[in-house]
Amino acid sequence: MGFAQILANGMVLGTLYACIAIGFSLVWGVLNVINMLHGSFIVLGGYLTYFAWAYTGISPVLILPFVAALLFGLGYGLQYLFINKVVSAPVLTTLTLTFGLDMILYNLMTVFFTATPRRVSMEFGRLEFWGVAMPVDRLIGMGLALLLTALLFVVLKTSRIGRAIVAVRMDREAAALMGIKVNHIYAITFGIAALMAGAAGSVFAMVFPVTTNLSGVFLGKAFVICVIGGLGGVSGALVGGLALGIIESFAGVLIGPQNAITVGFVLMLVLLIVRPQGLVGVKGYE
Amino acid sequence: MTPTRPIQALSAALAALALGTAAQAEDVLKIGAPLALTGGLADEGHKQELVWKMWTDKVNAAGGIDVGGTKMKVEVVEYDYQTDGKRAGQLAEKLINDDEVDVLMAPFGSGHTKIVAAVAERYQVPLVACVASSTSVYDQGFEYLFGTLAPNTGMTESMVAEFKAKMPELGTVAIYGRDDVFPKSMATATSDSAKAAGLEVVYEELYPVGAIDHSAALSSIKALAPDWIYMTGYTQDLILGRKQMQDLGIEAPIITMVTGPAYKEFTEGLGELADGVTSSTWWHHATGYTDVAGAWSSTDAFYQDFLEASGGEDPDYVHGSCAAALDVVADAAARAGTTEPVALRDALAATDLETFYGPIKFGANGMNQGREMPIIQVQGEAIKILYPENIADAEMTFLQ
Repeated sequence: MGFAQILANGMVLGTLYACIAIGFSLVWGVLNVINMLHGSFIVLGGYLTYFAWAYTGISPVLILPFVAALLFGLGYGLQYLFINKVVSAPVLTTLTLTFGLDMILYNLMTVFFTATPRRVSMEFGRLEFWGVAMPVDRLIGMGLALLLTALLFVVLKTSRIGRAIVAVRMDREAAALMGIKVNHIYAITFGIAALMAGAAGSVFAMVFPVTTNLSGVFLGKAFVICVIGGLGGVSGALVGGLALGIIESFAGVLIGPQNAITVGFVLMLVLLIVRPQGLVGVKGYE
Repeated sequence: MTPTRPIQALSAALAALALGTAAQAEDVLKIGAPLALTGGLADEGHKQELVWKMWTDKVNAAGGIDVGGTKMKVEVVEYDYQTDGKRAGQLAEKLINDDEVDVLMAPFGSGHTKIVAAVAERYQVPLVACVASSTSVYDQGFEYLFGTLAPNTGMTESMVAEFKAKMPELGTVAIYGRDDVFPKSMATATSDSAKAAGLEVVYEELYPVGAIDHSAALSSIKALAPDWIYMTGYTQDLILGRKQMQDLGIEAPIITMVTGPAYKEFTEGLGELADGVTSSTWWHHATGYTDVAGAWSSTDAFYQDFLEASGGEDPDYVHGSCAAALDVVADAAARAGTTEPVALRDALAATDLETFYGPIKFGANGMNQGREMPIIQVQGEAIKILYPENIADAEMTFLQ
């Protein structure tokens, strides 16, 4: 099989992986919270997209902004009402809190939506060029993932809110002294992360069957991608996602699909030892 | 990650306790069931719960079952084990010791059945498994374990023979299975059956639990252009697998997905892409067994009752096998004339019963040996039976 096809498979998968990880990386980097809710946020985004599509027939691409806005509200509320109360506590406390919130969300989804896999069964076809087959829905997903990542990058770099988020990440006390409402910024950051997760869920509903069972898988992937790519910037999730996607794609062909996921974890372990800040992470955020 | 729902578990425990106290006043056959009502297997656990409720409502409404001249009501005592195998084992112990059940029903899947079987064996309480088909569960020497599904190997041999008969030029097969108890054993059994029948297995790989992309493996399969692609896994894997085959332009005359088309979610999730996919299953509601023993006298009678109970959903083999498993327990209790565990176990071992689900007769290892399992194919929007001939209702179609 052609090298180009394996690389293309890996790149498309990698961009989708980046889409999974970006919100998780943001919360971890800025709030120092390992957000166990992240996988369930993606699944919730997927379900909302699926049901909106199933009942109205509107394309998931058009539903995405609404799902993202809804998840932003949910994320903002959760951070403002619950997580902010313990955000300065050791990381284990916030991890336990988000774990508990995740259990509630996960089980509510299982009760209301059931764990039955559901897919937006729209067929977009595929493009073939130079012997490489590329499904159009994945290309759309890839485009959306890149667009969202770029948007977040621009927001963080240029907007007042973005600069405030970066300032809080650098020094919470100093930011507070400069008049930044830290709790509000934390809630906005968590809201943006949930927004990105919801948007990822919308993209995924077109590509993968949505089921609550996937929440743990998404969370695990986000974790590995953040460790590989590094925390502290948008580029970490993109580089980590692409690296993992391409590595899994080649490993799947060369040493069998059974071992492909293991290779990703081995890479994570190696990086933790030799480069704990990740491939492009900012030193000090590891 | 395994979720928990403590309030529900507590209410279930309290309800079971209350029911248990009331039940002691009359003659009741108590059946214990650790069920995955939350967590990854919640869908499957709810299927078991639904048909057991249907069964007990129907049988109790008819006055119960005749055990040694006494009419006994039947009660299912259930707990949610939250898809956590270890917890399933603990709850099985609780059911035996605290609730004093007469017989246990195993949870979904070969892995969790094995855990509960070890507990049942230790306490010598009969255990009937309705959704465990891997021989590895039954070859442990358990004397109290009985399973209503038939061995995987019987399924794969008949499938290979049937496909070779329908497509004489069939020469190569690619096998791609999920690395999990049942899907792995089906992949291995198919590989063995295919090789024994003279087919060339050109690709044979497993994918790990939690895989969310199959493009690498499928791209390898595309390059080999096999006559037959055989993939095993759970519904979400198979929906994704079939879709990615389409995405990557992979075509083959025969595409088999086990046990995808047996579930309505598979055909719903794939739409037109499901058309032509074959599978084997232990049971399908299109199989027309009539004049049989048990709570329902025909497959159609069960189907009609099920439509009403489920609000119009179609039953799958999990529903069929689990409902029939209670027919087996009732039949054994009636023949034993007592609910004493050892007598009940001996009566179960001697089971020879025709049910709406098909014949049930346990072999030496406790597995149901009395069945020829249907091969099914999605044709249009319908599921058609290709094999065995006595219940077949369509000719096989090829995808290429």
